[in-house]
Amino acid sequence: MTGVLVIEDDDRIRLALLLALEDEGYAARGAATAEEGLRAQRQDPADNVLVDLMLPGLDGFECIRQLRRDDDVPIVVISARDDTHDIVAALEAGADDYVVKPVAIKELSARLRALRRRARAAAPAVSVLTFGELEISPEAGEVRRDGQPVPVTRTEFRLLCELAEHAGRVLSRQQLLSRVWGYHTGDERLVDVHVGRLRQKIESDPANPRHLVTLRGLGYKLQR
Amino acid sequence: MRRLGLRARVTAGFAVGALLLAASMALVSYELTRRSLLDERERTALRAAYFDAAVVRTGLDAEAPDVAEVLRSLDTGGNRRPLLYRDDQWYLRTADDGLTAAVPAELQRLVRGGEPAVQRVRIDGQPALLVGVPVAEAVGYYEVTSLRELEETLQVLALALTAVAIVVAGSGAAVGWYATRHSLRPLTAVADAAEKIAAGSFTARLAPTTDPDLTRLSTSFNHMVDQLARRIERDRRFAADVSHELRSPLQTLSAAASVLANRREHLDERTALAAGLVADEVARFQQLVNDLIELARSDRPADRAPVDVAALAREACRSRSLPDALVRVAPGTATTWSVDRRRVEQILVNLLDNAVRYGGGPVAVRLARQGGTGVVEVDDEGPGVPVAEREAVFDRFVRARAAHARAGGDGSGLGLALVAQHAAAHGGRAEVGDRPGGGARFRVELPEALR
Repeated sequence: MTGVLVIEDDDRIRLALLLALEDEGYAARGAATAEEGLRAQRQDPADNVLVDLMLPGLDGFECIRQLRRDDDVPIVVISARDDTHDIVAALEAGADDYVVKPVAIKELSARLRALRRRARAAAPAVSVLTFGELEISPEAGEVRRDGQPVPVTRTEFRLLCELAEHAGRVLSRQQLLSRVWGYHTGDERLVDVHVGRLRQKIESDPANPRHLVTLRGLGYKLQR
Repeated sequence: MRRLGLRARVTAGFAVGALLLAASMALVSYELTRRSLLDERERTALRAAYFDAAVVRTGLDAEAPDVAEVLRSLDTGGNRRPLLYRDDQWYLRTADDGLTAAVPAELQRLVRGGEPAVQRVRIDGQPALLVGVPVAEAVGYYEVTSLRELEETLQVLALALTAVAIVVAGSGAAVGWYATRHSLRPLTAVADAAEKIAAGSFTARLAPTTDPDLTRLSTSFNHMVDQLARRIERDRRFAADVSHELRSPLQTLSAAASVLANRREHLDERTALAAGLVADEVARFQQLVNDLIELARSDRPADRAPVDVAALAREACRSRSLPDALVRVAPGTATTWSVDRRRVEQILVNLLDNAVRYGGGPVAVRLARQGGTGVVEVDDEGPGVPVAEREAVFDRFVRARAAHARAGGDGSGLGLALVAQHAAAHGGRAEVGDRPGGGARFRVELPEALR
């Protein structure tokens, strides 16, 4: 059974989410604070984490940052706030996806499933893809830069593989959304923030990327 | 009759004022000039008459004087005509052409009494000056001086003064027109700003002025706009805040309702019915809140980027379990438009939902271009929208009559209002008309979508 950790300070929302997620076949656990959630995740890691942004004490952004430091567990933000600022900040902190309350439980479940699917990315035919100093091993789930392993999250890795499979070709934000996140239509900021995070890790000068380049109005491309 | 505008009235006032002023000045100067010229002429005529009378007196002193010869000897030029009254008889240089009759009796009486006299008369309609000088007992010398030249001079002067008065009045009107344009300029600025504000641009303000007479107008106008903008912003924020506050409890309701819905078959009939109602209404509530939030923020400008609208339209059809073959692209229409993806997606989805709910399902989604404007049309086979309701359907919380609705009132009542707002955010509009062959045709224009 897939485990979900719900970090949400509102008791009623947490209880309702746990009930509904269990109904959907998840092993759901709750935490009322970020500290409690982080402790629970360290002791007994869940397969997915749902985080509210407005938490007492440590806030949701910091919680995501700390979760991400230990782990590449898929993190979904669930928040009543939908300001661009909050969404981008949460994604930059390391979240894989976000949903705005109220979200239908079927929709939430579909998103979690999509995240799990890409966490077990289908292996491409080639074992190692090389882009200059970058080496991507889809099967091993590894990225190396100058021979040194680069720590990437599953979503970032999936995004990198998708771009590497279509090396030298432009993929639009919508194509990436549908291939990496499984969305038919969705928020393109998701792609932009993840590309930004990936650049921080794989480019020697993230402000002037050599490999992962932007084509204005078209999308992104990975080149040698 | 239409009342004259402020500017026309001020201009007319200036013109009339200038005309009055110029006319009175002209009258006064005409009168002064006329008097001084006449006085001058009178003095000259008197002097000449005295001189001539002296000559006549000398001539008459001779023995058996030839009166006609004496008169002929006078050097009178062409302007003066001498007359002599002697022994109850008139003597002239030429034949009497009624000249003697023109000499007024009063003047003759004065002269006979030994007094010189001057009088203006008209002879044959011509102005003339008649001077009478007593020469001796029962002898009067008269001289007629023509004033025709003077009259002509005065006529020319009058003409010139009239012309000047007219020109001055015209100049007054011009000054009035110019001055009002200048002084009405602040009002024009106010009107421009008000129009901009009415069009929804709450950033329009009057430029601060240094003119002490206008400071109050501009500050109070700007203050009014500030207050108005603040109130609208407050209302908007209130709607948004309420909607946001509703989100958290709705999340609980939504999750709990889905648990109930999942267990419907284990519940008794009445409880299952109630659980179904709760789940359905929570879903509708959720839609309403989302639409309200969307409406609260949809007055922001469109965030344009290249979007494959045909793909978006097909996706919208699939998301509503409709065949994507409904989407038809007019020949020669590029499908990549520069539009706000999220907004156009909502336009499509809301129009499809509307067609499903009230129009018996959509029969076509058409994409076309008109110049640079992208046009989206959604056709249905429903009863259509009556002409009287065609504007109102885009208002908030207006639903088609329940009789038309397949599933009465399951929408938020905001779908078409959002369509209109999203179109407006692109500088375009949404409208509904008849579809040829029956049904309604919703049409959304998105200007500058294509280059």
